[in-house]
Amino acid sequence: MIPATLRVTLIVAVVCYFIIILYFLKNKALNLKYTLLWLVAGLVMGILVAVPELLVKIIRIFGIQDNMNGLFIFAIGFMIMILLSLTSIASRQNQKIRTLTQELAILEKRVRDLEKKDAD
Amino acid sequence: MRREENNKVLVIIPAFNEAENIVHVVRHMMEEAPQYDYLVINDGSTDNTPDLCREEGFHYLDLPINMGIGGAVQAGYIYARKNNYDIAVQMDGDGQHDIAYLDKLLEPIICGEADIAIGSRFLEKEGFQSSATRRMGINILSGLIWLVTGKRVMDVTSGYRAVNRMFIEIYSKDFPMDYSEPEAIVSAVMHRGRIKEIPVQMRAREGGVSSITFKKSIYYMIKVSLAILICRMGYGVRRVKRENG
Repeated sequence: MIPATLRVTLIVAVVCYFIIILYFLKNKALNLKYTLLWLVAGLVMGILVAVPELLVKIIRIFGIQDNMNGLFIFAIGFMIMILLSLTSIASRQNQKIRTLTQELAILEKRVRDLEKKDAD
Repeated sequence: MRREENNKVLVIIPAFNEAENIVHVVRHMMEEAPQYDYLVINDGSTDNTPDLCREEGFHYLDLPINMGIGGAVQAGYIYARKNNYDIAVQMDGDGQHDIAYLDKLLEPIICGEADIAIGSRFLEKEGFQSSATRRMGINILSGLIWLVTGKRVMDVTSGYRAVNRMFIEIYSKDFPMDYSEPEAIVSAVMHRGRIKEIPVQMRAREGGVSSITFKKSIYYMIKVSLAILICRMGYGVRRVKRENG
């Protein structure tokens, strides 16, 4: 069983986490599409703080003996997933920027040609 | 095969910081092959390449940011598709590729013998052959492409190529970005393109610095090999079905 003070600290941390996300959302600094992931992560954290025994059970299912080790493994695994999805988002945006740049350059040439035709 | 004479041909000339060469290359092209259209693609150069193009009144696209050779060449293919060109030719803006071979390069495409013609400096082993180490690297890449596609192409890094309308369409929609020359061959084979290599002579660069320095070459080999494998994986087991049989 985790000590009561630690539990309070964790609950405060999770609440802060949600406040920050909502603040970002309110200021439209985060797209809802990407926020869902973080909201779900917060939800999972909330549940685990409320029912810590659940975490121990899950960790045992995976055959991990040490609770703290299990927690770190899950946390690191989650972060790797987030990083992967960020890389994928960056790649897709890269692709979009490329298409835009090419189209822009073609349009710019068209404008230049039309202006030249106008001047003649 | 039927020979069509009125093919609209666009020569795509990608240029990144080629102020020393570009004017000479384009003027030479206009003198030697005035019957073909050309389009310089300024790939976000930081020198005065775009200013030179404007002053000289060249046809050019001005990419506002640097995208690398793949993105620049693809812009040319998109332009070719939108303006209904029948054949597109890639030719480097650094003066390595000799315009004199353009007709030889176009011939198999015009005759309908091939979908892609690649100017190869290793078929007759004449002209600038590049260093022994680099040739070895190219041979390894050639072997790798042969291994994954079953097609033997000698000069896989040659950026002197001509493609027909079918591949203008394909490349304008999907062109490899990172190491476009070898990857584009894999993509071409997977689209059931008929590739033909044409012996050409290349010159050493006339000015400026090549984009690949010796120091980077090992790293380059690893990355290109990986890129070829990933590119091949992207097509699955079977080749893409050809639309017109």
